[in-house]
Amino acid sequence: MEEAATIREKRLYTVALLGNPNCGKSSIFNQLTGLRQKVGNFPGVTVDKKIGKLKLTDETEVKIIDFPGTYSFYPTSVDERIVVQTLSNPQSPDYPDAVVYIADVTKLEKHLLLFSQVNDLNIPLILGLNMADIAQQEGLEVDIKLLEKKLEVPIVMMSGRTGEGIDGLKEQIDLIFQEPAKTENRTPFYKLDASESAVAAVANQYYPEANLYQSLLVAHHHEWLSPLLDEQQAAISKAAENEQFVSLKSQVRETMDRYEQFIPIAQKAIKKSGKSENTLSERLDSILTHNIFGPLIFWALMLMVFQAIFSWASLPMDLIDGFFGWLGESVRSVLPGGWFTDLITDGIIAGLGGILIFIPQIAILFFLIALLEEVGYMDRAAYMFDRLMQRFGLNGRSIVALISSGACAIPAIMSTRTIGNWKERLITILVTPFISCSARIPVYAVLIGFVVPSKSVAGGLLNLQGLAFMGLYLLGILAALVAAWIFKLILKTQETSLLMLELPEYRSPVMRNVLLEVWEKVSTFVKEAGRIILGISIILWLLASYGPSAAMQQAEQTAIELAESQQLSEQETEDLVAAHKIEASFAGHLGKAIEPVIRPLGYDWKIGIALITSFAAREVFVGTMATIYSIGSSDDEFSIKSRMAQERHPDTGKPVYTLATSLSLLIFYVFAMQCMSTLAVVYRETKSWKWPLIQFLFMSGLAYLGALFTYQLLS
Amino acid sequence: MIAQAGTTKLLTDISIGQEEIVARFTNDLIGGKLMAMGLLPGTKVRVIRKAPFGGSWYIKAGNFYLALRKGEAASIVLK
Repeated sequence: MEEAATIREKRLYTVALLGNPNCGKSSIFNQLTGLRQKVGNFPGVTVDKKIGKLKLTDETEVKIIDFPGTYSFYPTSVDERIVVQTLSNPQSPDYPDAVVYIADVTKLEKHLLLFSQVNDLNIPLILGLNMADIAQQEGLEVDIKLLEKKLEVPIVMMSGRTGEGIDGLKEQIDLIFQEPAKTENRTPFYKLDASESAVAAVANQYYPEANLYQSLLVAHHHEWLSPLLDEQQAAISKAAENEQFVSLKSQVRETMDRYEQFIPIAQKAIKKSGKSENTLSERLDSILTHNIFGPLIFWALMLMVFQAIFSWASLPMDLIDGFFGWLGESVRSVLPGGWFTDLITDGIIAGLGGILIFIPQIAILFFLIALLEEVGYMDRAAYMFDRLMQRFGLNGRSIVALISSGACAIPAIMSTRTIGNWKERLITILVTPFISCSARIPVYAVLIGFVVPSKSVAGGLLNLQGLAFMGLYLLGILAALVAAWIFKLILKTQETSLLMLELPEYRSPVMRNVLLEVWEKVSTFVKEAGRIILGISIILWLLASYGPSAAMQQAEQTAIELAESQQLSEQETEDLVAAHKIEASFAGHLGKAIEPVIRPLGYDWKIGIALITSFAAREVFVGTMATIYSIGSSDDEFSIKSRMAQERHPDTGKPVYTLATSLSLLIFYVFAMQCMSTLAVVYRETKSWKWPLIQFLFMSGLAYLGALFTYQLLS
Repeated sequence: MIAQAGTTKLLTDISIGQEEIVARFTNDLIGGKLMAMGLLPGTKVRVIRKAPFGGSWYIKAGNFYLALRKGEAASIVLK
C-alpha cells in the first residue's frame, strides 16, 4: 500500500512488456514506441535491453522495457534469466511499476502460465490479448468480461499487426498510474507448500522487499542470481537440503498446479465457432522442411540472399564512395594545405567513408534475415540443421548466427544468446568470425580481381571471379565447422543440451518490425564498429604521416631529386614523395620490423603495414594499400589493382604480386582474426579475456600456417 | 499414470500422422520445460516429420508446433 502512495510521485514510470516467445510482443512494442526506442544493457549482463518512450498525455510519459520472451520463470537461456533476475528483486534498477503481459489469444492456455506467475508478483498488471485479427479469422469468441473477473486484471484485445487496441492499451496504462490500488492485492495463483515456504523465508532475508513468490523464485535460482553473495547462496542451499526442497520437483508441481487453475478459466472464456484448423503452415512445411527439398530450398535462399547483397548494394556503395571522394576533394580545396587538412581528409573523412560504405550490404543482409525470421522460417532452418550442427558441437539455433555473420560477426555473436547450453553457445561465438563477413569483401574484390581473370565458364552461366568468391566463402564455412568440431572434443560440460524449439505458424511479415530491426542493427554497427574503425584510420594516418623528422626530410629530399632527374610531372612527383615518406614513417618502420616474419608468406614490408592496420579491422586493408602506393585519396580498386601489377621487389626486380603472394594473402584474410570490435564483443559475451585471446591465437595461427603453406607450395 | 515396464509407449514409438495423448514424462528437466511451453499430460500429440539421420522430430502438440531432439521426444510417455 505504501508503494501505491508513492507511485505517482515518481517522474518516469517503468512499464515492463512481458510474454512468451512468439506472442507478438515486439510488434506491440514497436506500435507503442515506434522510433523512440534504443538498446541498452541490463546491469552486469550483456542481454539487450530494448527501451522505448511512450507519451500517454501531455504530462505523463512512461518508459517501456521490452523484456526477452520467456515461457516461465524457470529459464533456460541467458536471455530468459534476465527476466527472473529483474522481477524477483524489487530493488533492481529496472523493476517495473507496472507490467503489460502480452498473450497470443489463439493459444491462450499455454500463454497464461507465465501470466499467472507474473500475477503472483503483485505488480500492477494489464493483460493484452494479441493476434485479435487472427482470432477473428479463426472464429474465436473471447468472453473478456469473464476473463477480467476471473483473472482480476484489465484486459485489452489487440493486434500488433493492424494496430487494433493499441489506443485502448495506452488508456489502460494511464489508468493504472491514476488508480494503482485497483489492480493490487490480487489473489496469488500458487500456494507454497511447507518446505517451499521455509526455504523462501531464508531467501527473503536477503531480499527483504521481495514478496512470498519472489522469495520462492530466489530460492529456486539462488545458484546464479546476482546480487546474492556466496555465503547467502550457501545458506539457501543448506536450507533447501534441510527442508528436502528439490527445485525441479517443486517447479513441476507449481506448473501443474497453475495449469489446473487457469485451464478451466481459459476454456470457459474462449469459444471456437466452426472448424478453423489452420493447416497452411503444415502444408507449407511439407515442402519447406521436406527432408530433401527443405535443405535444397534453404541453400537456394542463401544463394539468393548473397546474390542480393552483391547486386543491390553495388549502386548505393558506389554512391557513398563517390560522395566521400567528393567530400574529401571539396574539403581539400576549401581548407588551406597542411597537417590539419590532411587529418580531416585522409584521416577522418576517409575513415568515415570506410565505415559507411558497408551500410548497404549490412542493411540488405539484415533486412533479408529479419524477413526470414519474421515469417518464421529461421526456426525451421534451426530444426532442419540441428542434427548436423550437433555433430560439430553446435545447436540448430547456431545457424542464425552463422548466416548473420555473413554481414558482420558482431550482431551474429550477439544473436547466440538464445542458445541455452553454454558450451554450444561458446563454440558458436568462437567459430562465427570464420564466416567471411562483409568487411572481407573489399579485400577479396581487390585480390581476386588481380589474380583471377574475369572469364565466363560453364557456357556463360558462371563467372570465374564469382566462383573464386564462392570458394573463399566455402573455405570460411569449412574452417568454422572444423574448428567447432575440435572445440567440441576439447571443451567439457555437464549441462544438458536442448533443442525444444517452438515452430510458430508462418505469418506474413510486418514491415514495420523488419525495418525497425534493420535500423537497430545498422545503428549498432555504426556505433560499435564505427568508433574503432574511425579511431584506427586516424592512428594509421598519424603513423603513416609522421616519422623520425630527419629521416622524413631525407626521404622527401631524395624523392624530389629523383623526380627532377626523371622529369616527372607534378602529380607523379607528389606520389613519389608520398611513397618515400611512408617508407621513412613510423608505419614504414613497423612494416619493416615484421618483414622477417611475413617474408615466408611472400609479403614485403608494405603488405606488412596493411596487415598490421588490418588487425584492427580488415576493411582498412584497401585504404592502407591506397595510402602506401600513394594513389592519393582514391580508394578505387582499379587504380590499386594496376598499381599492384607494377610493384616490383627492389632487389630482384620481380613482381611483388605474383599468383602465390595474392593467394597467400587471400588465405590469410579468410582465416585471420582481424577485427578488434569482434574481440571486444566476444569479451563482453563471455565475460573473460580468455576466450577472445584463444580465438585470436587460433584464428591468426591458422591464417599464418595456411598462407605459409599456400605461398611455399605455389612459389 | 504408472505404466508397466515393457509396455511403456513413447512418442518415438509412434508413426508419422498418428495422434496420441501424453501421459507423463520420464525426465523432470525436459518435462518441466515442455510443460512451460504448453505440452502437458493430457495434450494431444502427433508426429509430423522426422528429419533424416537421427535428426529432430517435428510434432504438433495441442494447437502448436514443436521441434524436439530424439532424446527429448523419447522422454514423453504416451497413454
